[in-house]
Amino acid sequence: MGTADQSEWTGGYALPTYPFVAPPELTGGAKRRYPIVIVGGGLAGLTLGCDLANRGVDCVLLDEDDTIGVRGASSRGIAYAQKTLEIFAHLGTYPRMREKGVTWSEAKTLAGNDVVYSFSLQSASASEQPPFINLQQFYVEWFLVDRIQALGHCDLRWKHRVTRVEQGDGVVAVSVETPGGAYTLEAEWLVDATGVNSPIRRGFGLETHTARGADRWCITDVRFKEKFPTERWTWVSAPFNENRAVWQHLMGDDVWRLDYQMDPDCDPDYVSRREVAEERLRAHLGDVEFELVWVGPYAYRDHLLDRFRHGRVFFIGDAAHVVSPFGARGGNSGIQDAYNLGWKLALVTAGRAPERLLDTYDAERQPAAQQNLEVTSRTNRFLAPRSPAERTLREAVIALARRYEFGRPLVNTGRMSVANPYPASPTVTNGGHSVQNVPITLQDGSRSNLVAFAQSLGTVFIGILYAPTRADEVAAFAWLEASGRPFRFLVCGPGGIGDPDGKLMEVLGAAPGSFALIRPDLYLAGCVPDARPAHADAMLKRALCQLPTAT
Amino acid sequence: MLTDPNIPDPDGLYAALTAAHEGLTDAESAALNARLVFLLANQVGDQRVLLDCVAAARAG
Repeated sequence: MGTADQSEWTGGYALPTYPFVAPPELTGGAKRRYPIVIVGGGLAGLTLGCDLANRGVDCVLLDEDDTIGVRGASSRGIAYAQKTLEIFAHLGTYPRMREKGVTWSEAKTLAGNDVVYSFSLQSASASEQPPFINLQQFYVEWFLVDRIQALGHCDLRWKHRVTRVEQGDGVVAVSVETPGGAYTLEAEWLVDATGVNSPIRRGFGLETHTARGADRWCITDVRFKEKFPTERWTWVSAPFNENRAVWQHLMGDDVWRLDYQMDPDCDPDYVSRREVAEERLRAHLGDVEFELVWVGPYAYRDHLLDRFRHGRVFFIGDAAHVVSPFGARGGNSGIQDAYNLGWKLALVTAGRAPERLLDTYDAERQPAAQQNLEVTSRTNRFLAPRSPAERTLREAVIALARRYEFGRPLVNTGRMSVANPYPASPTVTNGGHSVQNVPITLQDGSRSNLVAFAQSLGTVFIGILYAPTRADEVAAFAWLEASGRPFRFLVCGPGGIGDPDGKLMEVLGAAPGSFALIRPDLYLAGCVPDARPAHADAMLKRALCQLPTAT
Repeated sequence: MLTDPNIPDPDGLYAALTAAHEGLTDAESAALNARLVFLLANQVGDQRVLLDCVAAARAG
């Protein structure tokens, strides 16, 4: 949905454009088969391309456009959560994000004219990355493209529109249209990252369980002369917006995202007109100097595929799932889909893990999307009560939250994106949870962190024997490295890596004598107390799907 | 969910509730009841019991 002409909103930005380059198929080369082809260069597709490139894995990425961002300076996603930032630290784009973006951890919830409560996300954080950085989505994509170009391995093909996808025997045939003509290529594995309206998903006729909300919002991205505190402010009911909800959030370049809940019966074109947006801003902030960067109305929709794998095709990001924007669970989950799939494709295409490892992508990310859908639907209902009784419940919660601590967790203005835990399965023994990027010291005593360490090791499982209690068995653990599996063994303790702040022990749930197995996406595959080498061997086999499935 | 009598002074509680609603409009009474539900729920603090109570209340 959008107004007639979004191109007027440049916000003073000149986004980069990338040239069409005729692919080998159109310059006399034969039809080729590629191990991995990604379609769509948004957050999810670019993250996957960059992750594979960073792992030294060749892939092709087809994008129908020649730039990043989709609607001029429209930002879309703005808040990047800790796990996402850890992923970008792994891929190498994090330093630019930190420099360009706004790091925040303070938030206020307001109702009427005053603050109901404030909170900080910082206190619970063990990671080297902050809970959130806010940044325009096109910058995040821009940095990924730059990084991909520096890394090589990922053949970025701009102005390549996929017109047809056909599953064959052990191969996917992809028809592509370009300014230089049409061609077809073959992919062993195809990843659909083409977003909410995926033509590939439609081509397969897959059920998406789409639901559309009655709620209407209008985004106003605006630059002010004056500085405001870098806090997330959320009004459940704002007097200056006819007692409907309002979001106020800072992004890079001193641009603010103001998001206004509209009357469900409003005319989207009217509410996003420049003069109407300006009037709304003045009602909100009084007589301040500002410059509109982008204005656009939107309505909620959500959808969720039953399965994220269809034969040799994987769906990631919005192509697989769409939720309301509360808590920034859209873009972040697409990025995390990509990071979940990347190492699995890397190992399977290299013949280092069986194909069924790829099934764990669906087994882990589909429930994650389901969880995000449930969480955002609940927020949606809190912010848009459907009956007088629901409104009464909400007012009671707000009244109690003003007076009592216990009322505050009941106020639901969005539950911020988390690294979703994965259900227990043969591959993640106690249910996989993300291991935060905690500080460690290396064998030479220098200070590092888990992400930097994982990057230095390549695509391997990291096995950590924490403070060994059976010195005579350490060699037997180390011997598991000789199995040829993607596995590195380390001792945490004298002669090995160090846990300077005790945070590694905490995030692994380890005790002296524990063995923890960390996957290449920095999720915990398992942690056993008083571990023996046989435990470690079995855990690694399960994590790599090297055991028969009925475990 | 406890269904055996557990309120020390039932008549006293009932009287306190009716007194609390005195002089309120329907909307104000509904608001009071809603606040009371959340205050009591926090005293219970057991999710399973709370959900059983919601189901029992819904059943009428």
